[in-house]
Amino acid sequence: MSLPMPLESILPSLFAGEAFRAAAIPAELPPETLMGNEAFAGFYSRSARPLWAYLARVSADPTLADDLMQESFVRFLCAARPDDGEVAARRYLFRIATNLLRDHWRRPRQASIEEIPEEFFATVSTAAQSDSRIVLGPALARLTLRDRQLLWLAYAEGYSHHEIAEVTGLASASIRLLLFRARRRIAVLLRDQDTQGGNRQ
Amino acid sequence: MTLGPCPHEKEIAALLAGGQWPQAAPADLRAHAATCRSCAELALVTTAFRSARTTAAAAAPLVSPGILWWRAQLRRRNAAIERVTRPILGAQIFALLICFVVAVGFSVSHAAQGIGWISDLTQLIRLPSIDMAKLWPSSTQGSALWVLVPLAAMLALLGGVAVYLASSEER
Repeated sequence: MSLPMPLESILPSLFAGEAFRAAAIPAELPPETLMGNEAFAGFYSRSARPLWAYLARVSADPTLADDLMQESFVRFLCAARPDDGEVAARRYLFRIATNLLRDHWRRPRQASIEEIPEEFFATVSTAAQSDSRIVLGPALARLTLRDRQLLWLAYAEGYSHHEIAEVTGLASASIRLLLFRARRRIAVLLRDQDTQGGNRQ
Repeated sequence: MTLGPCPHEKEIAALLAGGQWPQAAPADLRAHAATCRSCAELALVTTAFRSARTTAAAAAPLVSPGILWWRAQLRRRNAAIERVTRPILGAQIFALLICFVVAVGFSVSHAAQGIGWISDLTQLIRLPSIDMAKLWPSSTQGSALWVLVPLAAMLALLGGVAVYLASSEER
């Protein structure tokens, strides 16, 4: 899928704020920190889908997920990151995406529906996607953005508390409690949904 | 509210991560999960999220990585250009400020002389022959300053240009 217009014109408000500071272009980039086109293609093929899933499910907006995913990768490429292997690089990518998402939610809504190209509305939905959305979607929608992020990183991505702290910028000590509460909340919501579904049948 | 995890949680989490829950789980562990609230929640939530991840990842619309790579190159290049043009902007502002100070200083110091010069000019019209010396301001004190200050402004401007050219060559 290609964007019919530059991303900067669709989401001008994204190019400032916390995410920009987190992945600001440094004055001098050492050559070893720059990723080549082929290396990036490999990394992209392994990381893009999980990242899009994270952004789409946490934001509940596939169009926004498209834009934020692209922006995350561009910033990832521009940033001087520690060369600690692919796992660390992916964590760094998720961190950029998390900050972008947070910045987006903090800003007032500016985009008009008329500015969004029509092709973005023509999304293909399979039965499996619909089922999954029905099961998790309503429960996730009733949680805060932070809870959604924590739950996704812990139970969909399988990150440890330390890694979640690194991605979200929260204190490592508080992750355990926050995650415990969020898990309890969503478990109750999922059980309620299940009970209501069973009653209807 | 207690935060102590159930000792079986790690075992169940490992089975969930490997996609072996509940089929490959021992019967006693499954029986435990049915009665333990914490383990039941872990299994329920992990299963829901893993399933959602699989379906969402399959639906991800991906752009070509080459496009993103080139966009990153372009952004990095623009950032580099912005960085090297910053000193020249500073030099321009500095030169402008010096010129302004010189202009103000010149106007203030020559305001009084200017009035005298106008009266000299009126006298000059009445004179039969023109004396060129009278056209020149009577006081030439501080003339070195009027040469040095614009020179400094010019040097600042040229310095900015030199920095810009040096930075461009580095890139």
